[in-house]
Order: sequence, then structure tokens, then C-alpha cells
Amino acid sequence: MIYVRESHVEKMGKTQDVSYEILNVLEFNSTRKRQSVVCRYRDGRLVLFCKGADTVIYERLGTGNGDLNKVTRVHLEQFGSAGLRTLCLAYRDLAPDLYESWNEKFITAKSSLRDREKRLDEVAELIEKEFILIGATAIEDKLQEGVPNCIQTLSRAGIKIWVLTGDKIETAINIAYACNLLNNEMKQFIISSETDAIREVEERGDQTEIARFMKEEVKKQLKQFLDEAPQYFCSPSGPKLALVIDGKCLMYALEPSLRIMLLTLSLNCSSVVCCRVSPLQKAQVTSLVKKGARKITLSIGDGANDVSMIQAAHIGIGISGLEGMQAVMASDFAIAQFRFLEDLLLVHGRWSYIRLCKVVMYFFYKNLAFTLTQFWFTFGTGFSGQRFYDDWFQSLYNVIFTALPVVIVGLFDQDISSSLSKKYPELYKEGVRNMFFNRRVVAIWACFAVYQSLVFFYFVSLSSSTSRDSDGKMFGLWDVSTMAFTCVVVTVNLRLLMMCNSITRWHYISVGGSIIVWFVFIFIYSGIMTRFDRNDNMFWVIYVLMSTSYFYVTLLLVPVAALLGDFLYLGVQRWFFPYDYQIVQESHKDDADSINKPDSQETKEHLTPDEARSNEISQLPKEVSKHSGFAFDSPGYESFFATQFGKYVPPKAWDVARRASMKSKSKPK
Amino acid sequence: MTDTDRGTQRDRHSAFSLFTQQSLPACKPVLTPEWVIMTFLFIGFIFIPVGLVTLRASHSVVEIVERYDIGCVPEPFRIDKVSYIQDDSIPKNCSLSFKVPKYMKAPIYIYYQLDNYYQNHRRYVKSRSDKQLLHGQNEHGISSCQPVEVNNDRPIIPCGLIAWSLFNDTFTFIRNRAELKVNRKNIAWKSDRGHKFGKNVYPFNFQNGTLIGGGKLNPTIPLSDQEDLIVWMRTSALPSFRKLYGRIEKDLDVDDVVVVHLMNNYNTYSFGGKKKLVVGANWLGGKNDFLGLAYVFIGSSSVTIAVVFTLLHLLSPR
Repeated sequence: MIYVRESHVEKMGKTQDVSYEILNVLEFNSTRKRQSVVCRYRDGRLVLFCKGADTVIYERLGTGNGDLNKVTRVHLEQFGSAGLRTLCLAYRDLAPDLYESWNEKFITAKSSLRDREKRLDEVAELIEKEFILIGATAIEDKLQEGVPNCIQTLSRAGIKIWVLTGDKIETAINIAYACNLLNNEMKQFIISSETDAIREVEERGDQTEIARFMKEEVKKQLKQFLDEAPQYFCSPSGPKLALVIDGKCLMYALEPSLRIMLLTLSLNCSSVVCCRVSPLQKAQVTSLVKKGARKITLSIGDGANDVSMIQAAHIGIGISGLEGMQAVMASDFAIAQFRFLEDLLLVHGRWSYIRLCKVVMYFFYKNLAFTLTQFWFTFGTGFSGQRFYDDWFQSLYNVIFTALPVVIVGLFDQDISSSLSKKYPELYKEGVRNMFFNRRVVAIWACFAVYQSLVFFYFVSLSSSTSRDSDGKMFGLWDVSTMAFTCVVVTVNLRLLMMCNSITRWHYISVGGSIIVWFVFIFIYSGIMTRFDRNDNMFWVIYVLMSTSYFYVTLLLVPVAALLGDFLYLGVQRWFFPYDYQIVQESHKDDADSINKPDSQETKEHLTPDEARSNEISQLPKEVSKHSGFAFDSPGYESFFATQFGKYVPPKAWDVARRASMKSKSKPK
Repeated sequence: MTDTDRGTQRDRHSAFSLFTQQSLPACKPVLTPEWVIMTFLFIGFIFIPVGLVTLRASHSVVEIVERYDIGCVPEPFRIDKVSYIQDDSIPKNCSLSFKVPKYMKAPIYIYYQLDNYYQNHRRYVKSRSDKQLLHGQNEHGISSCQPVEVNNDRPIIPCGLIAWSLFNDTFTFIRNRAELKVNRKNIAWKSDRGHKFGKNVYPFNFQNGTLIGGGKLNPTIPLSDQEDLIVWMRTSALPSFRKLYGRIEKDLDVDDVVVVHLMNNYNTYSFGGKKKLVVGANWLGGKNDFLGLAYVFIGSSSVTIAVVFTLLHLLSPR
């Protein structure tokens, strides 16, 4: 039993609670694209109310009232062209005995153990027909703030953007125009199932013939577009290509025979819009690109119908919001608004890539430098395998002497600030082309590691062959190796500072700290002798070393000699063969530190006319609209119509609260 | 509304939020050509003087190196040096002389240098027992000393190959028919003498076997006073090394002729090793040009690079 607070036009201002008994609820699902409810009025009348997409409702309308249907259809198209999302409402009076017999079937279907969904759909089909159209609704679903900007920036970054939506083709095209994905200069290829030819065949009603005909149509059109496309492609100043395809046609186009053609055509286009797609088709399209084109795919969505798409892509992003948390729960990353995708990709994604490359390369480099020093030693030991370094040195090298600085780099390194990253989205392509972790980069690091290890070993051992402390006592193996190890630790840590793009206080602390920890460790290690030591090789080594001038002279020479090659290479590379991000760094190096300036201020300074226009569009008054299945109640309906008739009805408290929680980000101008 | 704004303002600057929001204050070094040139010049300016000073100091060190292992074998035995050295009946004394090229100030250090002697071989380095050296016979676990661990079922102190191969050539120095006294005390590291070799540990059953590897030890002197052993047991890093033999506490003048009487006991002939005697005065650790040369080389190449870059910068500025 539900109570509906109704107020009728005649009795304005007076509300009454009318009770209706809800007998059955036929849930919404995306295959049926509609939902229905059977209710009993207070006077015993049984009515089936249905709400759904216009195509499915229109299929099930009864005869009679053809004018209303036609007029509504015209209105629907107008709504669609205006970018509104449309729904149709219909009802049907039910005779009690018809309802009873149907209800039995419904109850058996609902309690069946196998194929419940399918049986429920079948049962629903039995009763959902012979509707009488009530009318159509159109909902203004404005884009979120910053979406057109975001999409434009991402396409500048070389990311191809496809739209997969369940809306009608007109709505989808409209939204694509608003997002800057389509514009009038683009050559649009449209594969639609709403053409007259197809409608004609559909009216004939023969399923197999419809399927065959549609497949032929789709194939013909794909072929035609594929032949047309190259001529636009050849001229670089020619128009860009766009593909718009319908859900029904997509069903045929995704078949194995036509799939390749679809993929080739769509990869040549700069934007693709698929409308009327079901969630399954969204996932299928994503897998088509993922496996067929072997590109990294990212899908972003906010509703339960996007879950399969989110899971099918390489990276799935869910927008948490009013649609519920299903998308968020299925995703790899969750963000709050669509425009944060720009930050996620261009700022954090790019930084992540750079940091990952640096960390991995540095790890290999420092271990290579460390290990090769021992390798050169083996040539001098008669290849007997005597280790150069003490066991503890080797174990703790990666654990405490060189570990922390690289973690700090991995956390904090920023080549350019976040606002600059968004200003120059083309820098994203460096990651796409994998410019920082290819063979050349690895080879260069490896060469320098080899060079440094040679410096470490030969400089130290050759200079210590006749070195001794002030009393003439000679150094032994372990003294030389401690000297070499000190040089390695110092050099490797300083090299880290050289490869940072931004050095925070934590870098200094961790680098200085690691070197200090090394000294503390060696002071302690060579100062104590316990019963558990296997050998006492290191006893007092560092104290003797540090009392010689040889130690300080070598400690100054070796790191500088080792890093000289790297420094020279870095300087030459940056001077004569700079990467793009380095050019950006240099041209902006005198900019003031902009941590505290909000981002929107900066973007306002450099707007092209297009950007200004899309900024204006996105600043229009908007609300984040709700898209849930059971929207029986529309907030504010009553007071809107009341004001139309000149009566004032105070807004409900819950309504005010709900509006306040959906508050828009900027006031209308 | 304003409260929340102020709250976020405070948050924006709190240390934790700076950390988590990736907006820590950072210095962003950009390596412009000016910096490159300046750095190289700086390195050059520091390194060249240091290098020159080091080189000068190294050149001022006087060092005399005399190889004696071939010269000290008498003519008839030169064909089969190994049997010569292993034959105890042949007297092994030998003498050589050298002239002092420059004034050498006391203390003058005497070293013996061995070449092609792999004291850094893995089995060799392992073959010692520090516990036994410190505590003597009571210590267990001297299996690392294999194969020089026991002899006739009695443990060897000090065990191991390193001790077994103790260098035993001796040198006496005569100048103007007067002996120059060689101070053989305090030639080992003080930490070794004090803490690694026991004061109550005496050599026992040492060099008693069929194979004699080197010198013998006086069983009445505790290990902490056996400085030759201590010096020898500090294994060296490279196959060519020197070890301190003793000190002469007198000055040597220019053109002094010093005659060295040495006992050529040690067998380096089986493996092609070389023995040399090194006499030198000390500053900055011996005559080693390497450090000085390295400094000068790095410094001068830095300056060269800086000059090249300056020219490039002036000719084709960015």
C-alpha cells in the first residue's frame, strides 16, 4: 500500500493522500528498457502503468489514438534534437480475471529456480501490450561542469574518445556536439537503423528477413565508408572523420565477419559515437578495441549499466555520485566528477609513468654499479670468487643505504607542475610512445653504470696499493673494500639527486640520511666485536681509514670522477637533444610557485574563443540530474505548477534539503 | 560556508595535506648551459690545484725499489730455482746495495713487496680462525682453517693457510760499515695487536708438518707480540702488495750507499712470484702518482669541457 499525496488542478493548495495498492512490480532491466507497475485504485480499478524508452513503448501501443501517437512522436524528436533525454509513459486497464490468470504465471516465474530473469521477461511480455499512451517526458541532463574542456584537453593529448550511450541518436549527437567531439567541420559517417528502408522492412514483421536485410545494409555502409575514408585521410588539413553508429546496427557490425571493417573504420575516425547501446554491447565494443587494436583502453561511467564496460577495459574508472556506487565498486579508480579525469590522466598518470621509469632504472643502475665493482675485482683474485665487500655491506646495501631516497623520488618527483601538465597535454604522448623506458635509455644507464663501476674499483684499488696511514702501515683487503663501498654509497645517492626533477626537503633528508646511516653503521660495525662473528675482518677498519688523508682525498675524487660522465651526458642531452618536457621546464622555470592558486584561475588566462564558448556553456545553470529507475516523484512538481496558477505553495523541507545537496557549482550569470 | 572555507585554507597549508596532495615545496633545478659550464669550471678550479699539490708531494717522496728474488739465486741454481729454495742445506744469504738518490728523513720505512701473490684468493682469505687467534686452544670451530688445522691429531695454533705461509725473508741494513737498526716493533695495526691477537695465546704445533709454507714462530712469544705474523695476516687486496717490515729511525743522506744483507728464504719461485725490497720515506701514503694524476686529469678535462661549451654557447646560443 502506498500513499500518494495528490493535488488536483481544481483543488489547488489542498492535498490529500490517496492510497493505491501496489500488486506487482515489473523491474527495469536494460534488455526490456522499460518498467511497469500494477496497482489497484481505491475503487478497485486495476491499472498497469509502464514507463520506458520510446521505441519499446511504441511497439506495444494498442490501436486507436493514432493522432496522439504521431504528435508525441514529433515532440519526442524535437526533444531529442534539443538534447533532452526522453521517456514515454503509458497505461493499460486490466480486467480482473485477465489479471488473475497472469498473476499466477507471474508468481510461478518469480519463484522459479532457473532462468528467473528470462521467465520474468516472458511473463512481462504477456501483459505489456495494448497500451494507451499517456505522453512523453523530457529531462534536461546537462553535462557536468568542465566536461567539454576536459574532452578537448584529452583529445589534444592524443587520446581518442568514444561515446557509448543508451540514448537516442539525436540526443547522442547533440551531446557530442556539446562536448566538442563532433563539430560541423567533421565528416560524419552515420550508420543508423532508423532509415526508411529499414523501417519498411521492419513493418513487414519477418524476423529473419529483417536480420538479413539489416546485415546487408550495415555491410554496405561500412564498405562504402571505408572506401571514402582514405581520401580524407591523405590530406592533412582535411576534415576529421567521425562515426555515429546505432545499437541495432552495432549488433550486426560486431559479428566476426564485419568486425574488422568496423574496427578499421573506427580507428581512422577521431571520434566515435555509439548510441542506443546496451551494456553488453558497451563491453563488446571495448573488447573489440582492446584486443583488435591492441591499444590501452580506458572506460569511464557512472551507472550500473557501465559496469561491464568498466570491467572490460584495461582501466576502468567509475564516477561516484547520484547514480549509486555500482560503477565505483567495479572500477579500478573512482573519481567524483568527470573533469577530474583530466587530472587523473594528464597529471597523475603522467607523473606515475615518469616516476616508475625513474625508480626502475635507478634500481638497476645502482645494483649494477655495486655488483660490477665486485666483478672487476674477480680479475685480480685469480677468478677464485673472493668477495670484495663484507657480507653485511652487501645485505644492507639495498635495505638501508640506498633504499629510502628512491622511494621519496617515486613518491614526489614532478617534472612539471600540475597546472603546466594540463596546459600542455601533448606531453602525454611521451608516455604513450614509451620514451623513457625503451632500449636506448636502458642501454645508456647500463653504460654509465659500467663506467662508474670501473672508476670505483680501479681508482680505489690503484690508489691504495701503496697507500698507508701516517705510521706506514699498509691497508689490507677489507680496508680497500670499505673505502670502495663508501664511495659507491656516496656516488649512488648523489646520482639520485642529479636525476630528480624536483627536489623537496625529503630528498635532502633521505639522501643525507642514507649516507649518514652508512657512516653510523660502519662506525658501529667496526667498533664492536661479538662472540657470534664469524670473522673479525672489519674491526677498527673505518677508524684507521678516516685517520688517513688518503681517505678524504679519495672520497673527494672518486664520486666526482664517477659522476662526471653522467653530468656531461645530462648537460649535453638537455642542451642539444632536449625532450619536450625539458623545453617546457626551461621556458617556465621562472614561474612563481603556484601551489595555492586554484586551477581555474590559470586556465582563464589563456582561453581561445572555442574554449571560452565551451566554458560559457558549462557555466550555464545546471543540476546534476538523478537517473534512477523509480522516478515516480519529481521534486518541485507541485510548486512549479502552483506558481503557474498564481498560488504560492511552500516547498517541502526535504525537497529544499535535497536541492541543497545537489547545489550547482556556480550561480547563473 | 565561510567556516568551511577557512577550514580548507588551513588544511591547504598543513604539513600532512602538503604531503598527501603532492604539493610539497620543492626546488626544481633546471640544468641550463650556464650551470653546466659553471660546474665544470668549478671542478677544474678545485681539482687542478689539489692534483698538483698531491703530485708534488708524491714526487717529493723518495722510494727505492729493488727486486732481489732473481739476483739472489746463485748462478748454478738458476735453472731450477724451486729445488734451490726448498733445499735447506744451501745457504740463502745474499746481499745487494743501493745508493740513496735524495735526502731521506727519518723514519724510513722498509717494505717487502710481493707480486703475483694472490693473498686475495677465496680459499686463502677464508683460511684463518679469528677466534682461535684471540682465545687460543679452547676455541672450537676451526674448520675454516682446513687443510692446515691439525697435525698429528693436535691442533695448530695459529691455524690456517695465511699463517702457514708466513713470509720469512729477513733484511739487515749496513751503512758505512755500521748497522742501521731496524725497529721491528709497532709495525702492525694497533687495533690488531690489542684486540684481534690474544695476549695469552702462544704458537703451538706450528710448521711441524711435512710441508713447510713459510716462517716459524717463537713459541714463547704470545701472538699479540708476533708483529710479523700480524702484518702478514692482514690480507691484501691486490695480487701485488707491500707489507711493512720495519722502520729505520735515522736519516739517510744523498749518495749514501746502503748494503742490505738478506736471507732469501721465502719460496715464490714455484708460482712465478716476484720479491722486491722497498725503502721509502713517507708523506700522504707513499709514492703514488695515481691520485695526483687522476686529479689533474679530471680537473683539466673539466676545464677543457667548460671551454668547449662556452664557445658553443657563444657561437650558437639557444
